Amino acid sequence: MMTEQGRVLAKLLGGEFICQITDEDGWRFLKSHDNAQQLEPHLNMLNRTLSATAEGEVFFASYQTITDDERKGLSQQFQDTTSALVPLVEWLVLVQQASESDVPVTMGSAIRLSELQGIIEDTPAYAEQLEKLSRYRLFGSTSVNLDGQMKQVFKRLTDMGYLIKPNPEKQIYLATGKIEHLYEMIRFIDETESLSLSEQADAAISQGSLL
Amino acid sequence: MSQVLQEAGTRLLNALGRHSDIIMAAYINGSVSERDYSAKTLEQLAQLGVLWRPDPQSDLRLKSAVRSLLEGSLQDERNRTINANIGAALAGLKTLAAHYKESLHFGRYTEASSYMGELTEHVYQLSESLSNSVRVVFSRINNEFGYVASVDAKIRENELAQGQVTELLAQLECFRFDELSDIAGSNRELRHLLVVALQQRFSKAAQELSVAQARLLDLMGRFREFQGKTRLLKGFLLHMEQHPDFTPGNYAGLSQVPSLFNQAQGMLKPASADVNRVEHEADYQQIVASLTHVHRRKQQDDDAHKAAQDIDVSEQSRVALDKDPLQKAVDDFFCDVIDSGQPMSALSYYAGKDLTFDQEVWLYQVIGGYQSLDDTNKAFFALDTHGEPDKVFDGNFYINDITVGLR
Repeated sequence: MMTEQGRVLAKLLGGEFICQITDEDGWRFLKSHDNAQQLEPHLNMLNRTLSATAEGEVFFASYQTITDDERKGLSQQFQDTTSALVPLVEWLVLVQQASESDVPVTMGSAIRLSELQGIIEDTPAYAEQLEKLSRYRLFGSTSVNLDGQMKQVFKRLTDMGYLIKPNPEKQIYLATGKIEHLYEMIRFIDETESLSLSEQADAAISQGSLL
Repeated sequence: MSQVLQEAGTRLLNALGRHSDIIMAAYINGSVSERDYSAKTLEQLAQLGVLWRPDPQSDLRLKSAVRSLLEGSLQDERNRTINANIGAALAGLKTLAAHYKESLHFGRYTEASSYMGELTEHVYQLSESLSNSVRVVFSRINNEFGYVASVDAKIRENELAQGQVTELLAQLECFRFDELSDIAGSNRELRHLLVVALQQRFSKAAQELSVAQARLLDLMGRFREFQGKTRLLKGFLLHMEQHPDFTPGNYAGLSQVPSLFNQAQGMLKPASADVNRVEHEADYQQIVASLTHVHRRKQQDDDAHKAAQDIDVSEQSRVALDKDPLQKAVDDFFCDVIDSGQPMSALSYYAGKDLTFDQEVWLYQVIGGYQSLDDTNKAFFALDTHGEPDKVFDGNFYINDITVGLR
């Protein structure tokens, strides 16, 4: 039997993100400062430390000191992340546009696959977008029908940890804290590269460009 | 007078009931399409003050009194108007209270009781309109302005609601309970109406409005966050469209890697089984049992096995049935015995022919060769073994040499 501490530690060392959606008990455990402190020496032993993102709502393990080995791994990871950004963002925008409430996908958002699929099927522009994004290497769908593309995209997103399916019987997905991490990364890139993305979007909207 | 009023009221209500379809259509669509209904009916409704024509070119619309009656009774969430004119209502109350006190003073009791009735009506109307306003605000908060689709529209709705709440709170400040209490004086009924009833309503409304205000600010924060995220995503896509070759700098290469991009790789691997742990034996056994099961099933499930395969019908290469040299030597030995017709020792033949096999192997092969003959052939030969019994254990016989002869 593993203690809660051991369970959380194992998850962190396994490279998982812990948020309220994926693992509420673990998240609650880490929210307590004392527990986090107790975990720290174990993580430090393996050159890791507890990090949080999305205003302290999502936890993950990061390297404590970075030498050449770690740097190599991180660079590779960064490359993967940046190449995945466009497909992920396109997917987020598609889901937001297709959902009636026009609310962006955030941690805890529920996505009903059948509902979403119905709307995308009825709207050729969305179907086209889905087809385009399902072809990205990140999703790697070769399916010609919408149903297959949809399933593949959601399966990949679940594999990557952006979504979870709380009930295997039902086609309802919940967005995890990793989505918040994605927003944070885009925000960071925006600020660091001074892209002023929001201003660009505003300008485009005011110019009546079709987004 | 009251007879006439009653008749007129009944007529109005009957008209409302009779033409409910027109009224509801007007409520939902905003105006009446005059082609669908008879001009006479519409004219009648206009005369009763149910419909009106804002200007000569426009369609007939519902009077606001009828509309607010429907909105109030149906609890329609589209109802956005809030009657915030509390100051005027309070002034009316004060006037009526003065009338009432004056008539009491001069002993005109019928007049006084009619003023009292009117005053009661106004007080309850005021408190009802207050609670109604609060309810309208809350019903909109509760479904998070679900009646408008886009986040921008929700933000605008939220701003409107915030303005209304602020306005209501400002109006609530018009309540001067010391003043009202002065007016009520020592009159018990007036005091009950103006001080007790209104104060209860007032404190409740003030409390609810402050909660509503907090909720509105909270919602506003969320909407702004949504808006920010949406802009971020769309801006990013736009940027990537305009600069397809854009790649951010490699932040992992910086001397201080930002914590966002410092994500340690997973390192835990499954542990191995320790077969020397006795307490795990039962578990391991179960695991192994299920493993073979899985293995077998997998083979069955494997479609590749079931799939038709091409059968190679070309000629197989010949199988060479070359005899083992040892066996050949034994055959030669037997032939030699036949040719010479003399009994011969296996070891002397071995020495004579300079055979290279192990001596023991040679002897075994000779015995084997003899045993493997069929019965008729065996009958021609006699096999004699030379050796001695074991010195310690009886029943064991050591063979040193074999003599094979013809019978």
